[in-house]
Amino acid sequence: MKEVPAKVEHNKEWIVVKIGVDEEHMVLPAPINREISYKSIIDLEERKMALTLTIKGEQELMIRIASVEKVLQIIKRLILGSCNAYRLMAYFMSPAIRGGVMVNTAQWEKGSVVVVRSGIWFVSAAKQICIPLSEVAAIELTKRDVQGKPTDVIRIDSVESGEVVSSLVLCPLSTLQVLNNFLKDATKGIDMKGTELDGISQQVAMLIYSGMDSHAIENMLNIPHKQLDEIYDKILNLGLAEVVTIRREVQLTTKGVRYITDATKTQKN
Amino acid sequence: MGKILIVDDTLFMRTLLKNILFSGGHTIAGEAANGEEAIARYHELKPDLVTMDVVMPKMNGIDALRGIKQIDPAARVIMCTAVGQEQVVKLAIKTGAKGYIVKPFQAPKVLEEVKNVLAAS
Repeated sequence: MKEVPAKVEHNKEWIVVKIGVDEEHMVLPAPINREISYKSIIDLEERKMALTLTIKGEQELMIRIASVEKVLQIIKRLILGSCNAYRLMAYFMSPAIRGGVMVNTAQWEKGSVVVVRSGIWFVSAAKQICIPLSEVAAIELTKRDVQGKPTDVIRIDSVESGEVVSSLVLCPLSTLQVLNNFLKDATKGIDMKGTELDGISQQVAMLIYSGMDSHAIENMLNIPHKQLDEIYDKILNLGLAEVVTIRREVQLTTKGVRYITDATKTQKN
Repeated sequence: MGKILIVDDTLFMRTLLKNILFSGGHTIAGEAANGEEAIARYHELKPDLVTMDVVMPKMNGIDALRGIKQIDPAARVIMCTAVGQEQVVKLAIKTGAKGYIVKPFQAPKVLEEVKNVLAAS
């Protein structure tokens, strides 16, 4: 069993330990004293150089481990290879499209797709990429040109720091269909049934997607502020957007007008 | 910063691209609503770059790209199309497109792609 340096959260404090790891288990030494079989892990999340493991049991247990990237990569590889998850061998390309622009360096990688409770992991010899299910915007079985032939792939769109990123998965069609159904089920919270917008509201949503602010939208669609506000209400009520900034429009008071008048006179002098 | 010709059959997309490119400091050389118009406008305006929709009436974007490349083999054209039509990427690149954006797109990425294509040649 190899040992890797890490910090583990214990009684709400981070303690420095050497975690023992082999192909099937990890051992957290004293004062934690716990042996964890990878098969008992039902979820793996990663955030800011820290992993959160959820362990199956009568009462689910969560363990947080922080370390340097190299160590986390080893731990992730071991867990994702054996944990309790939906797993299939596949080719993947992630990211393939970022913000609508094809990623020039994107290429198909051989590896596996591992779906845990909170996310979809793409794992290859060189990469471990996670898309949290809460950030999945769309899943679609589509066609893509692969080595000159139109080939069935799954496209997964996710939102990463406000940017829409598309990833592609390629494997035999029957497996793709199973994966597609599984992912759709895992992300059914994003079911779009009943989410319908009229033409102008759709255009507004598209402009928001493209990064336009209220002022630009009003000018581009030639609509008054009040109408845009009503469309925003509709989009907000459907849960399609969230308010990030409330901007104020003001007009000068008499005092303000006097100030500007005086300031202009001073400039003339 | 470049002088850009926007080619798209929908006024909405042209206006959106115009706004994005303008916000990035570029000049809009002109607009065209189909492939034939694009070739004529390219000949007339000699822009630094063209954003070219693929699916358009009269003449599609790939044929317009071919026409522009005949006028100017060094023309810088970024193809722009909807999700699900990515299979035309190879054909467009083979025909001489320098970049590719997929609708719907986000402004910062479009500007980045335009900047990269302008800087590359």
